[in-house]
Amino acid sequence: MKAHDLVIDVLVALGVGTELLCCIGLVVMRDIYDRLHYALAATTIPPFLLAAAVIVEEDWTQPGINALVVAVALFLLNPILAHATARAARSRRG
Amino acid sequence: MLLGLTPCGWLAVRASRVDALVALQTGGTVTTLVLVLLAEGFHRASYMGLALALPFLSFVGVLLIARFLGRHLL
Repeated sequence: MKAHDLVIDVLVALGVGTELLCCIGLVVMRDIYDRLHYALAATTIPPFLLAAAVIVEEDWTQPGINALVVAVALFLLNPILAHATARAARSRRG
Repeated sequence: MLLGLTPCGWLAVRASRVDALVALQTGGTVTTLVLVLLAEGFHRASYMGLALALPFLSFVGVLLIARFLGRHLL
């Protein structure tokens, strides 16, 4: 196995592993705010690891740039959703 | 990676509605990343467009539920 393939495998494994950890954290946590913490962690680290894997594989071509745009979109949009969800939870609590 | 949808589904079914909203949000993220991996795995650059559209569609959907339905249903 070449170093190039090893780097891709490590990045994909780290990305999938952290995403699964965040999903498990959703169930394990009891409070809505703790769950939001894990939901936001799922949109910060794993997308960039997977985008890095695609860029290493494809270089700066269309798939690599698209994967990076997906990661940036998830990174920028999900805090707004978390804010709206936390606000709804707070209004429910009264 | 698809195993990540199982905790989200469980939370959406069993927990309260606001917790289900968090599960929906995370499920959208997992599905987006699965689509990226599938497009790259099958070497189909055009499939990446679906993964590119899903974060924005998921954003609008979850935001609508949180903002409008949230006042009445949560």
